[in-house]
Amino acid sequence: MPFPDFRQKWTGRINPVTLGATPAEGGTRGRTVTLGGETGIPFLNFDGETPHSPALGLDVLDQAPVGWPGPLQEAYGDVWSDPAAWARRARQLGADLINLRLLSIHPDEGDRPPEAAVETVQAVLEAVDLPLVVWGCDVPEKDQAVMPKVAEAAQGENCLLGAATEGDYRTLAAAAQAYGHKLIALAPCDINRSKQVNILISDTGYPLTDLVIYPTTASLGYGMEWIYSILERGRLAALSGDRLMAQPVILDVGYEAWRSKEARSDDEAAPDWGPIALRGPAWEAATAAALIQGGADLLVLRHPRALETVRRAVTALAAA
Amino acid sequence: MIIFSERLNGMYRDVRTAIVERNKDVIQELAEKQLAGGADVMDLNVGPAKGDAVEHFVWLARTVREVTDKPLSLDSAKADLLMQVVPRVKEALPDTKLVINSCTAAPRYMEKLLPVAVSCDAAIIGLTMDQDGVPGNVEKRVECGATFIMTALEHGIPIDDIYIDPIVLPVNAAFKQQQFVIEAIRELAIVHDPPPKFIIGLSNVSQKCLMNRLLNRTFLVMCLTAGLSAAIVDAADEELISAMISAEVLLGKELYSDDYIKAWRMQRGLPSEAEPVEV
Repeated sequence: MPFPDFRQKWTGRINPVTLGATPAEGGTRGRTVTLGGETGIPFLNFDGETPHSPALGLDVLDQAPVGWPGPLQEAYGDVWSDPAAWARRARQLGADLINLRLLSIHPDEGDRPPEAAVETVQAVLEAVDLPLVVWGCDVPEKDQAVMPKVAEAAQGENCLLGAATEGDYRTLAAAAQAYGHKLIALAPCDINRSKQVNILISDTGYPLTDLVIYPTTASLGYGMEWIYSILERGRLAALSGDRLMAQPVILDVGYEAWRSKEARSDDEAAPDWGPIALRGPAWEAATAAALIQGGADLLVLRHPRALETVRRAVTALAAA
Repeated sequence: MIIFSERLNGMYRDVRTAIVERNKDVIQELAEKQLAGGADVMDLNVGPAKGDAVEHFVWLARTVREVTDKPLSLDSAKADLLMQVVPRVKEALPDTKLVINSCTAAPRYMEKLLPVAVSCDAAIIGLTMDQDGVPGNVEKRVECGATFIMTALEHGIPIDDIYIDPIVLPVNAAFKQQQFVIEAIRELAIVHDPPPKFIIGLSNVSQKCLMNRLLNRTFLVMCLTAGLSAAIVDAADEELISAMISAEVLLGKELYSDDYIKAWRMQRGLPSEAEPVEV
């Protein structure tokens, strides 16, 4: 009896979205990174293509972080008060792109002006030639003042800007469109809202094919399954032809994983859990390695060993 | 659901006159309205128009093809006419996917039309009736439907190109038949894996009924629940299409969003108002 053919025929495809621009394309990046392009379920190569393996970015903050646990301090403590130096470190460690968070513009975190944010972005762009993801501080009034200036300063670099939400998308979408950047569409833990945000952004004239979906993220042990199911449902809808869900997905794994007590409790507080130097990065890597199988295209990570481990997992899955 | 537009039918006086007078504007305007409503396949029926029916079909198909490249469904109850029409339209429009609408499960009809479907790479709609007429029950519908599916597959027609029409009758004339249609769809859906497509001529259900549009959209939703995959409808009936989209959302075939009707239209490249961009 012949083995039945279980391959699926999909009509849809995840949009390929390229970040960064080389000098030939009007930017100054040394390379670009393309997300998406899948024509089937993640890593089922007989089912469809995964032309671009998930990209791995490393976090860079625009000011020294507060309360980051030991393993992260060991990795970045000597550079984290200088975003340019931190970005160079991330590049050395093998990041595909830099994930820059403009935390210091937050009214409670320094309330720095748009000019300071522009300076930081320019410094990071000069320090490394990787594509850049730039996040505001999630306070709409402040982001509306800062992000258009950042977008203008980075014109030509084809950055990924975040994040447009259901309540606050017009300014960011307009800025991204005016200065040629890609855009993150954020809808926390809700696939129906995610589709709605994409409709709203599309209504402003911003192209659906330049969007990246951010469904938020949950760590291993803290609702990761829910995000996984959102990834799955979104991917199945997209592959079945829903163009409003055909955007690649970004996940903020490092931030979420290192919030969990399993990752951040030091050796004294959790003597039975194994050394934090191993446990923390392992928690981050395990979260990432699980989520990429639900359908994620860009993972933002923190610890160098997590990056290494996830890279190995991605390579192994892609070759299988 | 695949929307077959029913409006380009010679049973309508304006269409009949336009066919006889070769008035393209009337036909194309009607076609545009159906397309704007979301029609996926244009069903063409020259009806009782006077003159050469084959030439009428070819003209009608060419005229509609000028405004869309969607598949064309060639609709006639006369097998001998379809045997002439389908190859002629295929010759005139070689790049257009055709649907033969329709063929009964009577052997002498299938012997005529299934080879035409194969040679013209056309899809075909099989009626769940044979030489004995429209069945008054579920069992005979299932028997005829199964016969049609198996015979079409034997001829080499891919399952994706096989439609089954369980024959809708007017509720004011045959009130039990609507339930039979629904049950026949359920039973025929498990005859073959993957199943064929199921299609109905929706407005038959409300022929000469006062509340025809309400009956149409209610029955459409009921049939969708049973597994209907296509229907011949007035695509310009917004309430009907909205009910259909809502049913597909509720059945999990479309992903919900607050603007799910608009989302459905966007997917199909149908116009939806864009707001001005401010920087």
